[in-house]
Amino acid sequence: MNFNSRFLNKKLCNYHFRNCIRWFVVQNRLYAKATSFPDFFQNPIFRKEDQAKLIENSELAKLAAVPVRPPASYETCSVYHDPLVNKVINHVMEMGKKQLARSLVEKAFENIKRIQIERYHLAQTQEEKNKIELNPKSILYNAVENCKPLLQLSPIKRGGITYQVPGPITEKRSLFLSIKWLLEATNDKERTVHFPEQFAWELLDAANNTGKVVKRKQDLHRQCEANRAYAHYRWQ
Amino acid sequence: MFSRNWRVLSRAYSQAVTFRTSEISPQHQNDKQIGLFYTLKQDTCKELFSNGGLPKSFMKQTKTFTETTLMIRQPALDLINCIKSTDFNKPVIRYVLYGEKGCGKSLTMAHMIHYAYEDGYLIVHVPWVSEWLRRVPRHKEMSNSQTREGLVDLPLDAAAWLIHFKSQNQTLLKSSDLKISKEYVWSKREKTESGAPLSELVEHGIARIKYACDVIDALISEIKILSNNKQCKTFVAIDGFNSFFYPLTRLNTPTKKKVKPDEVTLTKSFLELTKNDWNNGIILLSADQLAVPDENQDSYFPRYLLRKQGFEYLDPFVPIEVGRYSDKEFLSCASYYRDRLWLRGPPEIETELKFTSACNPFKFMEQCAPL
Repeated sequence: MNFNSRFLNKKLCNYHFRNCIRWFVVQNRLYAKATSFPDFFQNPIFRKEDQAKLIENSELAKLAAVPVRPPASYETCSVYHDPLVNKVINHVMEMGKKQLARSLVEKAFENIKRIQIERYHLAQTQEEKNKIELNPKSILYNAVENCKPLLQLSPIKRGGITYQVPGPITEKRSLFLSIKWLLEATNDKERTVHFPEQFAWELLDAANNTGKVVKRKQDLHRQCEANRAYAHYRWQ
Repeated sequence: MFSRNWRVLSRAYSQAVTFRTSEISPQHQNDKQIGLFYTLKQDTCKELFSNGGLPKSFMKQTKTFTETTLMIRQPALDLINCIKSTDFNKPVIRYVLYGEKGCGKSLTMAHMIHYAYEDGYLIVHVPWVSEWLRRVPRHKEMSNSQTREGLVDLPLDAAAWLIHFKSQNQTLLKSSDLKISKEYVWSKREKTESGAPLSELVEHGIARIKYACDVIDALISEIKILSNNKQCKTFVAIDGFNSFFYPLTRLNTPTKKKVKPDEVTLTKSFLELTKNDWNNGIILLSADQLAVPDENQDSYFPRYLLRKQGFEYLDPFVPIEVGRYSDKEFLSCASYYRDRLWLRGPPEIETELKFTSACNPFKFMEQCAPL
């Protein structure tokens, strides 16, 4: 029985797979390893806005017959769902303790909010008040944007010597580096300071285009500039 | 049709906008102001709650919002009405606040303390009983009582409470002629004469921490006598009262013996105060799940939390439930948060928050924090 059903499944998948190639796109994974769902399963469209867009462009009919993965528990249509925030939470997470990671990031947001609201009340004129960004999410967006490097160094071995060769960086890797650096800077703290506080400060600094992480990015750019003579090793 | 639409619209608008009331004295607040916020004056707040009384998370909010505001809610108004129609010649009535965690029992109590303050009561307020019995910091001062055999003193906590009592009743202690009825002898050289002002007793407790617990005991019997003689009216407020009736405290004597709540002198004194053998006063207590350990938090009803012993001890009492937000209260709270920049974003957020927080005030506040 068990064997039978597995066999059937395989058949079905093969059938789908063959059909799928005829349709369009394969590879929908956002992650390295396959889950229990084959690759040609489409990612779910769980945001109401995206669904509305699909209906508007009348692309919904195309998707109707395609197999779709079920959405994960964090992929919700909630008003305060945010892909970048989710990404950062996943970066903070250790050992799969997502609830803890989420609470830490949310605490950091709370701290940001408290700091900014206090500044807002201290500000004298309306102009100054308008300048202060109160939304913690947009502060996170600015911070990550400001920390993204534009170039990267990759070690390439030529004639027994390893050169640090500058080169372009993909969008995805620069996002990864930006979040990674922010977290590294946060974890490099006194034992008595808590993570949410330090993370709030780092984010505020980075959003302001100052601080450790922005400096690290600029250092990398400087290094790339200095090593521009090696650039040709990328293709020689 | 048109006019009706306008009426609906304007009603929605007025509901969305009015969340504040200018009625700052709790005596004049009435049913029309349910769900509205009123502001406590800075100096009153400092006088009443500088040594505890407001929950920690609420204090944080007041700092961020740069003001202390309380919502006028049904339980507090009910209590005020009850108090206004009380006959003070009869034995004291005991009110017990109960409700789920985070529904605002402590803040209702704070509201009532403000009422009592405005009305000129002598306030005997214990901010949180578990602070004495369940919280054990590294250096908890404990000693065996010298006057009462087999009991344990908490001199530092007692002195801290006396300071709290002094700051809450500054004006009364300064001005009025509250006199002590009998002489108290503390040691060979120290005694308090009969006829000395009440403040002298309090000062003695603060200055000589060793005797603080005995001073509290004396103070409480004096307060009872004074209220019976109609020299002052007394408002007793004890938050987390059920921790007096939990079988064990977290305290250990130096000989590693577990201490029961009855073996603490402070418990004895405050249980003495909550008997209804005196008049011209009001007793407001709260039964709180947070005052007992996690494994005994199954229900929030007074019978469960006070246990049989406590329930029988308090028996004729008036239970008052502090519940979750009603729709109107939730709306006004949300617009208050929006006004204070605590909550932002599209209006759909509110419906979602209402759903996820289940209208629980504390959860609502918590869930607004990262937005």
